Amino acid sequence: MAALNGWWDDYFWGALVIFQVFFCSLGFMIIFGLLGAIAKLSANKLAHKVANAYTVAFRGTPEILVILLMYFGSAIFLTAVAQLFNPEVKFVDIPPFWAGTIAISLIVGSYATETFRGAFLGVNPGSIEAAKALGMSDIQTFVYIRIPEMWRIALPPFGNHMLSLIKDTALISIIGLNETMFVAKQAITVTGKPFTMYIVVGAIYLGFSTVVTLSVMGLEKFGERTTAGVK
Amino acid sequence: MSEQSKKYLIQMKNVDKYFGEFQALKNINLEVERKERIVICGPSGSGKSTLIRCLNRLEKHNKGQVFIDGNELTDQIKDINAVRREVGMVFQSFNLFPHMTVVKNLMVAQQLVRKISKADAKQRAMHFLERVKIPEQANKYPIQLSGGQQQRVAIARALCMKPKIMLFDEPTSALDPEMINEVLEVMVDLATDGMTMICVTHEMGFARSVADRIIFMDLGEIVEESKPSEFFGNPKNERTKNFLEQILTH
Ligand SMILES: Nc1ncnc2c1ncn2[C@@H]1O[C@H](COP(=O)(O)OP(=O)(O)OP(=O)(O)O)[C@@H](O)[C@H]1O
Ligand SMILES: [Mg+2]
Repeated sequence: MAALNGWWDDYFWGALVIFQVFFCSLGFMIIFGLLGAIAKLSANKLAHKVANAYTVAFRGTPEILVILLMYFGSAIFLTAVAQLFNPEVKFVDIPPFWAGTIAISLIVGSYATETFRGAFLGVNPGSIEAAKALGMSDIQTFVYIRIPEMWRIALPPFGNHMLSLIKDTALISIIGLNETMFVAKQAITVTGKPFTMYIVVGAIYLGFSTVVTLSVMGLEKFGERTTAGVK
Repeated sequence: MSEQSKKYLIQMKNVDKYFGEFQALKNINLEVERKERIVICGPSGSGKSTLIRCLNRLEKHNKGQVFIDGNELTDQIKDINAVRREVGMVFQSFNLFPHMTVVKNLMVAQQLVRKISKADAKQRAMHFLERVKIPEQANKYPIQLSGGQQQRVAIARALCMKPKIMLFDEPTSALDPEMINEVLEVMVDLATDGMTMICVTHEMGFARSVADRIIFMDLGEIVEESKPSEFFGNPKNERTKNFLEQILTH
């Protein structure tokens, strides 16, 4: 334990990075998932095909590879663009934070696409007809009826997607994101204590996952109040 | 907007409706005046639901014309929701919003469609809940109510929009027998109050006492259209006679 002296603040900042990645990627993941689901359910053939290609590609490739391709791919592109203006430039990249966040949002978003699609299909068509018959517009029906009814169906698998986001954050260390995994690697080279350093990382990730799991359980309870009542 | 189509609250002229190859409505002509109460009956699959769903454009007709209070329903119609809010509809399976309390079910469309303030919407919701005799259920969720209570909430929800017309699609056929009367009472009350109504129902007692006209449909056509006394006492068509025999001996 003495080996940890001097590393606590690094772990703390690393944990904060996990937290930031989680919130940003959660937002993007929901957006990608909703867009994907809407495209898959739409009558538009092109939208349908694009969404299918998206889910096939991102569910069928190793996550770490997506992160690497996203980071180096965008770096090659940006470097080439920058060299057009200034041939002296050697290397331009987007910050690993954003490359990684977008990469894991796209990966988990492809799973969320299927979750949301199924959940939209699970909404009682009778509710939709009732809303139409009352004169509600398509957008009003979407916001006030479809979304609130579908999230209750989507919640349990959605909880798993949130856990995936948290765990995938560790992978982003490979492109140099200074989260806890990255901290541990540095600490190991200095102290030569891999087990101790990695167990701290494990404890931090487990802490985050537990908070997420408990939140999802709370939300499920909240959603169930409409279905679990006594007669 | 012709003078004639303005005279009737509902007018259907030579309406055909197809589902793919299958013709669900054949040359339907129907005129309903203000405060008229129409009952539609007929065997399963005869097109009763399709007919009334064409009146608020939940189904689009393929041929002919449909007018609601003088407005023709076409693909070009600018604001179908302006028509829909004047036409209340009650479904066989209630179709309440499961994630909202009873009172919210009654308020949501008032606020979004009629742009009524929250306080006024709530007041109106409570007024109509009193009218269907379940104000004490206001804060429960639909799943916590009996079928009869849910259907009465659904009727109140439609009434909150202050519609000119109420359409009922077999409102009692999903209900246990002991709950049918509480829903029929509400409908009779509405009819007495002068609401223009079209009810698809096989409750012949209700039809006899409330309807101004009874329409019998079979195979997508209106086969017979007459006053209740005539309809029950002296049906003209063979198909009507057969249907009545079956349903009245049940
Ligand atoms: N969306 C649809 N697609 C294809 N066929 C349909 C559709 N809706 C109705 N039909 C067909 O149209 C015919 C008329 O249906 P409709 O629901 O209007 O009958 P109904 O008189 O209301 O019958 P029920 O008493 O069973 O409610 C039926 O044969 C039905 O199978
Ligand atoms: Mg029907």
